[in-house]
Amino acid sequence: MLLNISWRNVWRHPARSGVLLCAIIAGLWAGIVVSAWTNGLIDQRIKRVIEEELTHLQIHHPDYLVEREPTMVVDQTEAIGNLLSSDERVTGYTFRTKSDGIIQSPLTSSGVQIIGVDPDREREVTTFHENLISGEYLDADVRNPVILGRALLEKLNVEVGNRVVLSFQDIDNNFTSGSFNIVGMYYTGQPALDEFKIYVRAADLSGLMSPEQIYHEIAVMLEDVAESPGLAAELNQQFSHIKAETWTELSPELRYMTDAGSSSSFYVMVVIMFALAFGILNTMLMSIFERMRELGMLMAIGMGRSKVFIMIMTESVMLTITGAVLGMLLAYGTVEIFSETGFDLTSVGGDSMREFGFDAIVYPKIAGEEYIMIAILVIATALLAAIYPAIKALRLNPGEVVRE
Amino acid sequence: MSESDVIDYEIENNEAKMGIISTKNLSKIYNPDTIPVHALRNVNLDFEVGEFTTVKGPSGSGKTTLLNMIGGLDKPTEGSVEIDGIQITGMKESKLIDFRLQNIGFVFQSYNLIPVFTAYENVSFIMLLQKRPKKEMEMRAKELLEAVGLKDKYHSRPKELSGGEQQRVAVARALASQPKFILADEPTANLDTKSAMNLLDMMEKMNREENVTFIFSSHDQRVIDRAKRVITMVDGAIESDETR
Ligand SMILES: Nc1ncnc2c1ncn2[C@@H]1O[C@H](COP(=O)(O)OP(=O)(O)OP(=O)(O)O)[C@@H](O)[C@H]1O
Ligand SMILES: [Mg+2]
Repeated sequence: MLLNISWRNVWRHPARSGVLLCAIIAGLWAGIVVSAWTNGLIDQRIKRVIEEELTHLQIHHPDYLVEREPTMVVDQTEAIGNLLSSDERVTGYTFRTKSDGIIQSPLTSSGVQIIGVDPDREREVTTFHENLISGEYLDADVRNPVILGRALLEKLNVEVGNRVVLSFQDIDNNFTSGSFNIVGMYYTGQPALDEFKIYVRAADLSGLMSPEQIYHEIAVMLEDVAESPGLAAELNQQFSHIKAETWTELSPELRYMTDAGSSSSFYVMVVIMFALAFGILNTMLMSIFERMRELGMLMAIGMGRSKVFIMIMTESVMLTITGAVLGMLLAYGTVEIFSETGFDLTSVGGDSMREFGFDAIVYPKIAGEEYIMIAILVIATALLAAIYPAIKALRLNPGEVVRE
Repeated sequence: MSESDVIDYEIENNEAKMGIISTKNLSKIYNPDTIPVHALRNVNLDFEVGEFTTVKGPSGSGKTTLLNMIGGLDKPTEGSVEIDGIQITGMKESKLIDFRLQNIGFVFQSYNLIPVFTAYENVSFIMLLQKRPKKEMEMRAKELLEAVGLKDKYHSRPKELSGGEQQRVAVARALASQPKFILADEPTANLDTKSAMNLLDMMEKMNREENVTFIFSSHDQRVIDRAKRVITMVDGAIESDETR
């Protein structure tokens, strides 16, 4: 009956409670949808970076990533390759030869990062080839093929089919150069990549750098990302003169992005809760003030203070939970729908999103635990916001209140 | 089922007078530090089981203050109140609330009922607070509402009841807790004459037939005329105390 009285008290002023209810619904809906969208955005971004080039784990010469010297090649590539081939956790791996250099067109030149790949393996391990928007991939039947980003092509004022000259250091630190044929053009939308990274065959690049086939990088994809730290540790132990690192070590900014995403979602929720707390406080205070006499009467006839306190807290929690359940259901529905169809921002700012490496179409997602966390947050807010009004009610002096 | 079963009043004896309330040198001064108001001055009163007593007096004479003291809703500045041999003055607040719940029935001038509850729920609520068995609660609530003449209004909300009917529900609720006595501060003040007389009839009948003790205050001479004992207050002091 105590629950019953609380529930009926909640609906004493349907309009007033309704307004608060709508605010709670809207707040939670917006908070959850924004969180889910952020989650989706970041997850897609990470997935894309990993799948396009980064992969789950990379192996380099211990100093390669810092000093980037052509001589810092991966030793024992064959042994490592054999080991990776036989490891069940590994779904694929590929070798890369890399160099920093200069690309020259008849008109101008530009600094680039040259990435030499094994076209067949690379195609199996990463999805980079999907970014090709015209021309062919590196398995084209052409001597010294190269693929450039669209932005670089424009900058150099060349087209697919033209020739360019690549200059870089060989392993003896001498400058060497070679003539390459542009076979394809790729587009990621990110100027930092499109203008800077060019792709050639590892064999061609290695051939110009060294008498023997050299590799600077082994990129490994795993069945399960979570296995990467374990495998990295094993590789580091088994082989000297290499350094195996996971994607989070290779790209701390991606890791940071995940953290930033979840903490921003959390702050969004906290701000929403803060606003809701004031709404609840206000509504509960109004409700207490207009019921002073009634509450005094209840205490006079023998309703204990603890019961009055519980009644008021229950009212706040009931009202808030009603709103929270509705808001969460609505948010769940929205997230479900958009997680199928995707939330398309192409028309409002898709290009700028692409520039920063984010997809314009985001598939929002949110974990079950987040709903639980939000539910707990909401109940805590409802309780906290009702404490002051409830204490106000307890301070009533029934003798004074029942006096007409 | 007879009405005496219905009311189930805890009184066995009509002849030998049983003291139930006793006030000793009761004084109340409001705002002692600023502009002191002597609401009660040295009040010594004894009440017995089965009384039908009214407290009268001009506005501000201390009627409400006296009833609040007896009901444990306010604390005296001096003196004490004893109910059934238990001194309630100085009792801890939480204990006092429970004491009120178990021993005293209250009827107020207004704001008597819980607006979101039906007549039936208003009457059962107090028994729920007393943690009575559900069965007993249901039966007793129905019987009491019938006894106050509201057999067909069990499920009406206070808003749907007249002022007189609301006060009847309040009396039924006060009785539901099986109190030792009922305090009613101007129960008829908001009622028209006819409803006031009806309520008095009902209270009188319960007093006569079930020996329910009523102590009520009033301004209204017609109500005062029906009391068996009339206590007159002036300026916080007892001016006269007549039993008819
Ligand atoms: N909380 C309070 N603070 C100060 N003075 C008070 C307070 N409550 C009552 N009084 C004063 O105490 C005196 C007695 O008041 P009380 O309400 O008992 O009178 P009453 O006989 O019930 O009057 P009425 O017939 O108008 O209800 C009055 O002078 C009143 O102003
Ligand atoms: Mg009064």
